[in-house]
Amino acid sequence: MNLLLQHLELALLIPLLGGALVLLFRNRPRLREASSLFAGILLFLYVTQLLGLYHEPSPVHTLLNISASLSIAFHLEPLGLVFALLASGLWVFTTMYSIGYMSGNSEKNLTRFYLFFSVSIAATMGIAFAANLFTLFIFYEALTLSTYPLVTHKQTSEARSGGRVYLGLLLGTSIMFFLTALVITWIRAGTLDFMPEGVLEGNTQGLAAVLLFTLFMLGIGKAALLPFYRWLPAAMIAPTPVSALLHAVAVVKAGVFSVLKISVYTFGIDYLATQEASGWILWLAVATMVVASIIALSKDNLKARLAYSTISQLSYIVIGAALAWPAAALGGALHIVTHAFGKITLFFCAGAIYTVTKYTRVSQLNGLGHKMPFTFAAFLLAAFSVIGLPPFIGSWSKWLLIEGSVDTQHYVVLFAFALSTLLNCAYLLPIGLRAFFKPPDPAQAVTSPGIQEAPLACLIPLCATAAATLLLFFYIQPLYDFLYPVFNS
Amino acid sequence: MFSLNPALILILGALPALLLKGPLRAVYILLLPVLSFLQLYTLPAGSRAEFEILGMLLTTLHLDKLSFVFAVIFHIAAFLLILYSLHTRDRLQQMVTLIYAGCAIGAVLAGDLITLFIYFEAAALSSVFLIWSRRTPASYAAGMRYLIVQVISGLLLLTGIILHARSSGSIEFTQMDPGTPGGALIFLAFGIKCAFPLLHNWLVDAYPQATVTGTVVLSAFTTKMAVYALATAFAGTEILIWIGLMMTAFPIFYAVIENDLRRVLTYSMINQLGFMVVGVGIGTELALNGTAAHAFAHILYKALLFMSMGAVLLRTGRINGSDLGGLYKSMPYTAGFCIIGAASISAFPLFSGFVTKSMIMEAVALEGYTLAWLVLLFASAGVFHHSGIKIPYFAFFAHDSGIRCKEAPASMLCAMALAAVLCIYIGVFPQTLYALLPHEIGYQPYTMTHVTTQLQLLFFSALAFTWLVRQGLYPPELRSVNLDADWFYRKPGRWLVEHAMRSIVTGEQRMGVWIKRLSFSAGTRLHRHHGPQGLLAKTWPTGSMVLWVAFLLGVYLIFYYVY
Amino acid sequence: MNRKKHRYWLDSPANVRKLVYGLYSLCAALMLLDFFYHKHANFPFENWFGFFAWFGFIACVALVLLAKQMRKLVKRDEDYYGDV
Repeated sequence: MNLLLQHLELALLIPLLGGALVLLFRNRPRLREASSLFAGILLFLYVTQLLGLYHEPSPVHTLLNISASLSIAFHLEPLGLVFALLASGLWVFTTMYSIGYMSGNSEKNLTRFYLFFSVSIAATMGIAFAANLFTLFIFYEALTLSTYPLVTHKQTSEARSGGRVYLGLLLGTSIMFFLTALVITWIRAGTLDFMPEGVLEGNTQGLAAVLLFTLFMLGIGKAALLPFYRWLPAAMIAPTPVSALLHAVAVVKAGVFSVLKISVYTFGIDYLATQEASGWILWLAVATMVVASIIALSKDNLKARLAYSTISQLSYIVIGAALAWPAAALGGALHIVTHAFGKITLFFCAGAIYTVTKYTRVSQLNGLGHKMPFTFAAFLLAAFSVIGLPPFIGSWSKWLLIEGSVDTQHYVVLFAFALSTLLNCAYLLPIGLRAFFKPPDPAQAVTSPGIQEAPLACLIPLCATAAATLLLFFYIQPLYDFLYPVFNS
Repeated sequence: MFSLNPALILILGALPALLLKGPLRAVYILLLPVLSFLQLYTLPAGSRAEFEILGMLLTTLHLDKLSFVFAVIFHIAAFLLILYSLHTRDRLQQMVTLIYAGCAIGAVLAGDLITLFIYFEAAALSSVFLIWSRRTPASYAAGMRYLIVQVISGLLLLTGIILHARSSGSIEFTQMDPGTPGGALIFLAFGIKCAFPLLHNWLVDAYPQATVTGTVVLSAFTTKMAVYALATAFAGTEILIWIGLMMTAFPIFYAVIENDLRRVLTYSMINQLGFMVVGVGIGTELALNGTAAHAFAHILYKALLFMSMGAVLLRTGRINGSDLGGLYKSMPYTAGFCIIGAASISAFPLFSGFVTKSMIMEAVALEGYTLAWLVLLFASAGVFHHSGIKIPYFAFFAHDSGIRCKEAPASMLCAMALAAVLCIYIGVFPQTLYALLPHEIGYQPYTMTHVTTQLQLLFFSALAFTWLVRQGLYPPELRSVNLDADWFYRKPGRWLVEHAMRSIVTGEQRMGVWIKRLSFSAGTRLHRHHGPQGLLAKTWPTGSMVLWVAFLLGVYLIFYYVY
Repeated sequence: MNRKKHRYWLDSPANVRKLVYGLYSLCAALMLLDFFYHKHANFPFENWFGFFAWFGFIACVALVLLAKQMRKLVKRDEDYYGDV
């Protein structure tokens, strides 16, 4: 079993293998999709095995030494494990879902679709297990590149233009800011490794620390801070399963995961607090959270509204890191998980609605709830979770974040959380509610017999993740215990 | 020892209720509150259940005398409400009724603040569906406002709990100091749920917009949970006396001129809550007993009044005083039950309100609050005037509106009959209720003085009404909206928010254009390789795809072997 | 149908008048009752003759007349908030 622990690269190899099988069976759709699902399940099992074997941060496992202090290397630590578990687990659901969605919408080029999906997951695993900043950076860029063909999947001019913004912003910020910050860290600290107490203590002080942290956070465009979040709504042109997994879980969470990882293992929470290095970013994240919520409220396009909601929720996690307080950072880490379950369900539902009705706008949904009760009920449950109402899983992470803001006496942040919660209610709930409680628009064909509940392949995953938002509320404790040592050394 | 929380029976049992059909379903949902009640009844005093989460030890079950009284009446209410709702085919409403009742019971049995918070929020979340289920644009909007207010209250409670836990080191739900920041926020959160003056509008706004059964259900739980919470945490806080007095006094003016009879009842509800809040503020054993007893009686007679108005709404489709009248001809039983409810809320001797309200009045008098006592006396006359006379008079008597309809459905009549019997039973045999109360006191409501003075007060109020009506001085029922404190957020508040949002949205769009231009130039360069015409995103010849994967695998293997 | 022709007891103004006179006499009787028993009062003013009676009457008249004046201030059109 130790073999599994020693060969972390298996986490990359399994999805790539899945990709290879997809190619192999390119002319046999059933087998092609089965191999994708198989790889997903295998990866998930592998990561659960790792979780079971995990006791303490493993020694660094180097794949490639470029120089004495520059290498591609992996290691195991709780934050990365949780992220890997989340991404691989939801990949399974998404694969099931995309089988239903892609055939329901008769999308083309499915081999390419499944292939790049696998490659993206491989890149995500690389990020999750990265043992140093360099590795993180490499796979961060790989994820951007491998998701690009998925964003432009439809190959329309709209898709192309969305893809350009996607690539331009993500690569642009990462090269301009992330890479610069990385080089500065290398020069200052002499190492890029992730260490439990950070590596900057004693070599970077005051304004330099503030600037460095700000550079990192702006450089991680995937965390979608003001003003570099436009790529996320632009990416919504992609088919819904892509939006669901990548733009609600893998890609965006890779961003905030990097934020947390850098805050904890490059800077160190204590160091962040003593140097007040995260002050600027805190306010930027607060502004992003509120502004994105307001923009979400103004969007009638369902996926655009969900995209802005994601931007706002990502800022919760950045705030969790920027508050530089153990409870808040832990809340941020939990929020990666809790938000993922809620948001993936919301996207699954949006996709299910589109598959059945081809409706994309919120205002078209009146009265649909009676035709698609499960889809909309799932939507409402997930919305409650994202808002952070008990008894849904989203309330725990919000609890810790609010606790952090109270403990650090950042009452403005507290107020912003409250405001954002109310805005969440205002933009998320009406989507599900109008389907149940508003009469159908006579001009629309909602009552036509063709409109019925979504196909089972879509319905099962979305009901499962919706149920998880409720049930995991009662089983958050193991996750909390597992992540606790990361922030309270 | 493992003690199952009765609340869980209702909450978890509610889910299968959505699947069952027909008579089986009716039996099942009627049985749930009974089962849950038996579980409560057999729980030994001082039962506890604990649950660890996020490093905190929650006491999910903590049975003491005060929580027991509230849990009992919530069970009775749950049973009556389910019985009352049997006519409807809307299974969602019955399910949320059970969940909502379960949450209310869970909240009063909660031993710590976090459990209390969770049940409060879950109650808010489940109850709002009773408003939305009416499926009108007005109820949709009102439900949204209701939920937003409840979430605000929840956020205040949450922040208060965190501050309180930091300063006191405990999350136990017990007496608190409203002078500390944490205590003050918790006080405010309960205040919203209890409809303190200026924080009361969600109640008057949303309750009359709910469904026929929804309004009855709503009237039973949320505010009484808040009364319980205030009594546990802030008993003897003097400011509550003055808050309570305002609550008893101002709504009766609105009740006189309000046209929607269910809204009249919500105003009168605030008036009744005021009595309970005053009792909590006095905080003596007699006063707290009075509060608990009055909450108990209030739930029953208020439900009865709302039930009768619900039956009217169901059968006639109208609820405005200006549209109704003369219905005693069509709905004689409903009219009779309504009068029993009216007599109870007005505290006629031999009816429930008489034996409970008098405890609070007595407690106020014993503590020597002369002004407070006079205000309560005024409010007592007022409540008779609008709930005791106005409601039955304009719905069932007054001028004949010409409406002829069917009597209420049998299940509704049963529920009303049961509630009416309980109202009278408590009035006639008050000691049964007194035995449940948290403190041992030898209180005797039926004294010559008390009975006579109360009858004088009530009959001369009736005389005033008669005189005013016969003189033509009584304000007619008019179709109208009466401005209340919600004007501030529904008019100027709304305008402000809309304008602020609009400017933020425009600002963001401008920024977006700028960012897009910037990223486009970068993106276009990358696009040459990655774009649809580029190498990476063509409708690929499969060969090149194989190449790509082979390349990735190759890179991987090189890494692997080099290492 | 029969129901339309049916006249209820309350339909006759004479009967309503009977009720009203009943109320008047009941009120008078209750007022007089004050002579016949000893009040247990908490406040001195409770012992004033018929205190509860005239308090109840004045309170209700004041309540209604004040509320009527309040209408001038708070009454608005039914669709004032634009959601009916």
